[in-house]
Amino acid sequence: MSAGLWLCIRLPRLAHEALATAAGTETVAASRSVDHAAIEQAAMERLAAWAYQWSSLVSYRLADGPLLWLELGASRALFGGYGALLAKLTAALTQLGYSHACALAPSPTGAALLTQAGKQRCVTTLPQLRLRLEMLPLALLALPPEVLAALHSAGLRRIGQLLALPAAAIARRFGPAASLYLQRLCGTASDPRPAWRMPAVYRARFEFDAEVRAATALLFPLRRLLLEFQGYLRGRDCAVLRFTLQFEHYRHPDSAITIGMSAPARDAAQLLLLARERLQALELPAPVSALRLQAFEFTAASVLQGDFFGNDAQQLQQLQLLLDRLQARLGDQQVRGLALAADHRPERSWRFVTPQQSMAVPHIPAAVRPCTLLQPPRRIEPPAVLLSGPERIESGWWDGGDAARDYYVARAGDGAQWWVFQDLAQGDWYLQGLWT
Amino acid sequence: MSTPVTLEQLARLCRDAEGSRGPRPAAAPSGFAELDARLPGGGWPVGAIAELMSDAPGIGELTLIVPVLSRLARAGRHIAWIAPPYLPYAPALAQRGLPLERVLLIQTRSLQQSLWAMEQALRCPAVGAVLGWPASIVDRNVRRLQLAAEAGGSLGILYRPPEAARESSPAALRLRLHAAPDGVAVEIHKSRGGRAGVTLRLGVAATAVVA
Repeated sequence: MSAGLWLCIRLPRLAHEALATAAGTETVAASRSVDHAAIEQAAMERLAAWAYQWSSLVSYRLADGPLLWLELGASRALFGGYGALLAKLTAALTQLGYSHACALAPSPTGAALLTQAGKQRCVTTLPQLRLRLEMLPLALLALPPEVLAALHSAGLRRIGQLLALPAAAIARRFGPAASLYLQRLCGTASDPRPAWRMPAVYRARFEFDAEVRAATALLFPLRRLLLEFQGYLRGRDCAVLRFTLQFEHYRHPDSAITIGMSAPARDAAQLLLLARERLQALELPAPVSALRLQAFEFTAASVLQGDFFGNDAQQLQQLQLLLDRLQARLGDQQVRGLALAADHRPERSWRFVTPQQSMAVPHIPAAVRPCTLLQPPRRIEPPAVLLSGPERIESGWWDGGDAARDYYVARAGDGAQWWVFQDLAQGDWYLQGLWT
Repeated sequence: MSTPVTLEQLARLCRDAEGSRGPRPAAAPSGFAELDARLPGGGWPVGAIAELMSDAPGIGELTLIVPVLSRLARAGRHIAWIAPPYLPYAPALAQRGLPLERVLLIQTRSLQQSLWAMEQALRCPAVGAVLGWPASIVDRNVRRLQLAAEAGGSLGILYRPPEAARESSPAALRLRLHAAPDGVAVEIHKSRGGRAGVTLRLGVAATAVVA
């Protein structure tokens, strides 16, 4: 029976490689017991999410060597043939830092076995698979050691010799499980794989084998986390507006930072750039024993191509990157835009807005205004030299901010020009603007 | 997965995109014909740093550059104000033709942050001009900003105290500004590829007619 086409990835050093050692980090408590099984499980969960960008049917197994399967039958057209897809996939795995052996076969069990073959690990039809298997040594079979020993003592050396025996005889001699295994290997028996389900909330955890003291040393493992996260976002065809980094400490409660963006993003390099700005400014309360990445809210990826102001999309992207970097390093409230407000009083005729916000123009005064404003106005002695004025400004009675003022341009002793007013109710003089 | 993008490649994005858009004019008209006639290329140096050393605040030092800021902003580029000592007054900028949605106001907590923000903004091709008011700045940092302005094809305006005129600076253009009746006296202190020593009187004051 046809079971599609399966890519199997063997990850022989998964637990070891997942247990990140941040390069060049000053460490404490260098050796401590860690739960390798839990680390392997967590790393495989992240890899499954990452793999979802290539295939909508992902499955894995941790027993007898971590194996990750991707059903590729439907993906072939998407990625321009297997060759291109496999090249991209292996390059991406290398970038993540995982040792791996890949094989492609029309049965998942067959693909898993071929990952151990030295060469010719890519077959696309059942007859090809059978031919390829026949040449391989028996020792590669995932059968119990006593079965393999019995086969060996019976003089069998190659898989082909075993496959030549009648299936009923194999079942009688070695048990039905061995027989079923061989049929699945050749793709002649149903070989269902539990489909990994993509979680609605993204959670990834990265445990260190030694505590990390410097926030910047977290960048190295974070890069891998973000690459895996990017795979998840691509798999779901979505993007994020914010994600959270949580830091686990040994002798201190967890700490966290949330990294927000002005526009949806899913590019790992961009996310890393933003995280770097935050990490550089971060004071860790204690050394970090594990790093967690979480994202709860996702937006449609189509927003990525948004064009808000008729700019070319590239320029918009560049601007957003700049805004994100500035906000990440300086704080959200430190980067703002300006807009007009409908009020005659100079101090209320403007307001801060979020950057790039385009506002309807409520009112531009007819009389020329100075380019800078003193907020609030500063009380001064009556000016000696008035160059122009008065301009009467009255308004605000409706909200209690009653104002009646006469505005003038005054010359100060140093030659500067001041925008001053006299409060008509009290008679006091104020400096409100500078003709910078 | 598409070709992995390294941080260096990402950082280069801005510059590469810039280059692909063809050569940018080396100067942007100032809006003052007398000044343009004296500046190499006929305007403010684009892709470079200009220093303005004003005798006092309030003599037209900002009004002088609002025409070029408006021109750059109307061409679609943003104007970044890094830690201005006074609040830029939105109605006044709108009156002078500066589209406010192109204005970015960036507050910082230290000189170091200001210099960093200036450099980032100068490097980004989406930004046309960056204004900074560093309390003090060493040549090495001016040179850094100069390189960033070159990379981003943007105009960097550094407001510096009048005492700075006594020292040299790698900035492409250095102007001293003095108070003058109905305007500002602009003394060309240094002009790369142009002539220094000239003083011009420009009508930018409150009582002057503003275009």
